[in-house]
Amino acid sequence: MKKYVVATLLLVVFLAAFIPFASSSPDGLETVASSLGVQARPIWQGLMNDYSVSSVGNSYVSTLLAGFFGIVFVLTATLALGKAITKQSQTDSGK
Amino acid sequence: MHILDGYIDPATAVVMFGASIVFLIWAWKKVKANYPQSFVALLAISSAFIFAAQMLNFPIMLGTSGHLVGATFLAVLLGPYAAMLSMTIILMMQAFFFADGGIIAFGANVFNMAIIGALSFFVVKLLTRNSKSPRRFASSVFVASWLSVVVTSLAAAIEMGLSPAYASGGGIAVTIPLMLFYHVFIGLGEGAITTTLVMSLQRWQPAIMSSLSIMKGKVK
Repeated sequence: MKKYVVATLLLVVFLAAFIPFASSSPDGLETVASSLGVQARPIWQGLMNDYSVSSVGNSYVSTLLAGFFGIVFVLTATLALGKAITKQSQTDSGK
Repeated sequence: MHILDGYIDPATAVVMFGASIVFLIWAWKKVKANYPQSFVALLAISSAFIFAAQMLNFPIMLGTSGHLVGATFLAVLLGPYAAMLSMTIILMMQAFFFADGGIIAFGANVFNMAIIGALSFFVVKLLTRNSKSPRRFASSVFVASWLSVVVTSLAAAIEMGLSPAYASGGGIAVTIPLMLFYHVFIGLGEGAITTTLVMSLQRWQPAIMSSLSIMKGKVK
């Protein structure tokens, strides 16, 4: 359990350091679609649209918080998948 | 390189769901048969890392950015089958929580980034052969990760170009060269970041890298 908390904290620090440098320009695929006049028609807005928590005004904090939630969700989901799918062998029982 | 809803035709989306499910079942069976529980921590932590890294877009040119996909990195670290499952979970969380990638387009995104991306593992293997040289390995990782982005963009270009929405713009005859144009450059970013990550792991975490040879031995 401890290693997952440490990993989460390290990843939040990693994001905190790099978020200010991240580009907010559309990515290559979005550029291609919009240059051909094709618009996105989302059927779902997401709970934290565009990696921001709407109740937080500061965009840096908002993105960092969304990143933190995302990290926790991905970690939890892959952990659950991993536990479900892998075999418990004698040598690594108790981990 | 997430396809948003509206970018592809629903019929294409359905086909891509089907294709992705076939690969994911294959990946599920392979992982279930071969992976010990001690592998779970590496799976979870590397997946969370790639999620975080994908948030960081780097500028390319002309007001366009790219971001790491990370499929080659995950495939080198986890093997291609676990990488497919890992990327699928990342994409699922991105679509559901952050509306990054569409819901209808989810199958296409899984196919493009999780499946094609993870299959670049075999490019690394092919280029490395039995060489023990770290430089040979590094350049193989670079080429494979660049290629994974370019092939992914080609797949996305075809899926998009097939939609009538692009017909007035010229269809696949235009989407393919445009997508390749941007992603030839975005792929260089992918290659540079992936190679740096793998080389850093090799230097600072040789224990993880030595466990990889075991993983590689298991991949049939």
